[in-house]
Amino acid sequence: MDTLNLILATTFAPFAAFVLAILFLMRQPRLAQVVVIAGGTLSLGGAVSLLSAGPVEPLRFLWFTSGDIQLRFGFLLDGLSLMFGVAVALITLCVMVYSLGYMGHDPSKTRYFAMLALFEWAMLSFVYAVDLMQTFIFWELVGLASFFLIGFWYEKPSATAAAKKAFLMTRVGDVGLFIGVLMVLQVAGHFDVPGLLATEGGLVAQATPAVLTTITLLIFVGIVGKSAQFPLHTWLPDAMEGPTPVSALLHSATMVAAGVYLMARLHPLFMGSETTLGIILIVASMTALLAATMAMVATDIKRVLAYSSISQLGFMLLGLAAGSLFAGVFHLITHALFKALLFLCSGLFIHHLETNDMAQIGRGGGRRMRFATAGLVVGGAALAGIPPLGGFFSKEEIFAALGHDGVILFSVVALLAAFLTAYYTFRMIFLVTRPQQVEEVDVHGDHDRAEPLSMALPVMLLTVGAAVAGFWGGDIARGLGIEAGHHSLAAMAPALAVVALGVLVAWLDFGRQSATRTGFIARMPALEKLFTNGWYIDAFYDAIIVRITMLAATILHAAESRLLDANFDRLGFGVLGLGSGTRRLQNGWVQFYGGWAVVLVGLAAAYFGMSD
Amino acid sequence: MLEQAVIYLFAALVLSGGLMAAWTRHILYAIIGLGISLFGVAGLFLYLGSPFLAAMQLLIYLGGITVAIVFAMMLSIAMTVTPPERNRAKTVFAAVCTAAFGLGVFQLVRAARFPAVSPAPEEAWSVGAIGHALLTHYNLVFETLSVVLLLAIMGAILIARPQRKAAS
Amino acid sequence: MTLEGYLTLSLMLFCIGVFAVLSQRNLIAVLIGVELMMNAASLNVMAFNRFSVTDPTTGQIFVLIIIGLAAAEVAIFLSIIVNLYRTRRTIDAEQLTELQG
Repeated sequence: MDTLNLILATTFAPFAAFVLAILFLMRQPRLAQVVVIAGGTLSLGGAVSLLSAGPVEPLRFLWFTSGDIQLRFGFLLDGLSLMFGVAVALITLCVMVYSLGYMGHDPSKTRYFAMLALFEWAMLSFVYAVDLMQTFIFWELVGLASFFLIGFWYEKPSATAAAKKAFLMTRVGDVGLFIGVLMVLQVAGHFDVPGLLATEGGLVAQATPAVLTTITLLIFVGIVGKSAQFPLHTWLPDAMEGPTPVSALLHSATMVAAGVYLMARLHPLFMGSETTLGIILIVASMTALLAATMAMVATDIKRVLAYSSISQLGFMLLGLAAGSLFAGVFHLITHALFKALLFLCSGLFIHHLETNDMAQIGRGGGRRMRFATAGLVVGGAALAGIPPLGGFFSKEEIFAALGHDGVILFSVVALLAAFLTAYYTFRMIFLVTRPQQVEEVDVHGDHDRAEPLSMALPVMLLTVGAAVAGFWGGDIARGLGIEAGHHSLAAMAPALAVVALGVLVAWLDFGRQSATRTGFIARMPALEKLFTNGWYIDAFYDAIIVRITMLAATILHAAESRLLDANFDRLGFGVLGLGSGTRRLQNGWVQFYGGWAVVLVGLAAAYFGMSD
Repeated sequence: MLEQAVIYLFAALVLSGGLMAAWTRHILYAIIGLGISLFGVAGLFLYLGSPFLAAMQLLIYLGGITVAIVFAMMLSIAMTVTPPERNRAKTVFAAVCTAAFGLGVFQLVRAARFPAVSPAPEEAWSVGAIGHALLTHYNLVFETLSVVLLLAIMGAILIARPQRKAAS
Repeated sequence: MTLEGYLTLSLMLFCIGVFAVLSQRNLIAVLIGVELMMNAASLNVMAFNRFSVTDPTTGQIFVLIIIGLAAAEVAIFLSIIVNLYRTRRTIDAEQLTELQG
């Protein structure tokens, strides 16, 4: 099958599934599920075939011309897009199969699966896009699918509020991205990504340093929004209102990773601007640390994982900004696998024990759910960075890149964040697996298996994937066209040390039998309060931005209803009044009418008399 | 001289009769006023040169139409027993309209210039001339008038006849 | 009297007739007003016939026709009044307001 047909099948199979489900299958949820999963399978098959065929020349099609500007759409099939495409398709298919069990009793299944298909289409088209405008369009579509899926249970006001918040915050970032993209057009005259990235005649050559910095900074603003970095990170924890498979797919592995992917895709442009790289380093390291502090006091398992995603995305951006495309992409792919795994395992706990609270999960006997626990431990170890699991190698690359960069501060912050990562991850694991006492609570009753096959199978698959992903580093590097360096044990020592320290402190606080299970942070109540309230960032936004916007909205609404609406109403009533006034002339008295006729004749006669 | 006085007398009759007819609330006085006014008009016709027309006026108007009006008055006698109240606003309105009209047309009359023509000879005013014209030059009008009168009679009978009971 | 005098006289008679039409409540009085107006018109025609016309036959025939038509019109008017009185027991112009609104 030739490349064009393969790529079209890969990207459009989910779209066809979406259209079919939405238009025809709203009353047939079972058939809709089958259709969507078939679409997902086709996509995965296509992506894998494309990957095995290797990089090819980009395919471009002209969409329309406007003056000098030509808008194209097409497919860019190089190592980066091929690899990440397979990751996206694989995780999406796992989530779809998992949703068969997780959403089994939900009455709106068709809408859910249709939105998943919509998301997959948008995400894959984004990954394989060759034109920057095409990238932007699908970037927005991915945000739209996220909005639908976060607010899936729309009867819950908290869910709709979270969806609104997510959309609005990413929108703020998107404004920056859009301006950046338009500036690219102004400087280069076209949107073609390979052309922009070329060393000769690309954007780096065409733009002055100041302009390049501006463009990359604006694009970074979009990344901040989409990948939930400080200060636009508060939407991601709230996005946990959506179903857990959605959190696994969108808000850990793929959608929020779109920002990192964009930076990886446009890496040569970012490398051309020292200022931007510096700013990214600052923001990303701050975010990594900030989010890790918030994760270590969270009690809701999904919130821990959400903060963890924010923190890990910061890590990826750190790697990219430190100059290593390989570090960022490697961590992107490993993180996608183990974070999705962690979310799906948490979903198993939530589905069976009907609680999100980690302590309650532990008390409810979470330990007895074997697949979930195994996945949790493997994924958690990968997240913490324990060798030989995937997360260790990818984090190692990031530390190596930071070490080369020269500024010690960022390495220190990254190490601190890595310590906290290991700490909160094992805090989560110990709270779930080693509770103080176990109560015999069977929430679901005997008729439901704790871990149905549809949910266990993807978890098993991802467990294996998370475990071996570390060993694909060489392949990934080759795919990107980079030589993977070999690191000496001495260089790996700091990272290993902080990980071991984190696990140890977690064991002391939560793991051993006599542990207090409150965490060392409880000894600093002021800090604990700060972390629990998210450093008061959300409160700040509420007080300043939300209040002001609501005030402006109230004023405008009052102005509209009192000025505009009232005057339009007056116009209408005025006409009615005029009519009813004029109506009184028609009183039915013929002599009244006749009088007026006489007057008119008299006036006409006078006129004739005068003009003569 | 005497002629002028008589003309003015007839003019006065015309106007006073008209005023009485227009102002009174009692219908019989109105009819009487009409009669006086018509009589005055007949006199003026005489002095305007047409005795024939004066005679026709008296015959038809006073003798026919006024009597018919009296008949109609008697057929709708209820309203004549107690003369209705005068509606002040309506009277004022009517007066204003009339005044406006009158002033307008008076303006026109004053502005108009009519060329003076020498008076026609006596023979032109004879009844024979009228009769001749009616049967030759203005024959169509004459015949049409007859038809109109016929139709009027038929219409009047149709409108005024007693209604049939119920369905047919 | 001069032509203008006759014209003014007929105008005054016409205005009296208009006033009667507009202000009287009894429909028969309205009819009387109409008759006054027609007479004013006849007077006007006769005045012109006397002062401004070479052949006076036309004017007299005109007035004859007016008188004839007035008679026809009175016939119809009175039959309507009879009919109205029979159905509504009133010939008060202020009570016949079905075209109101």
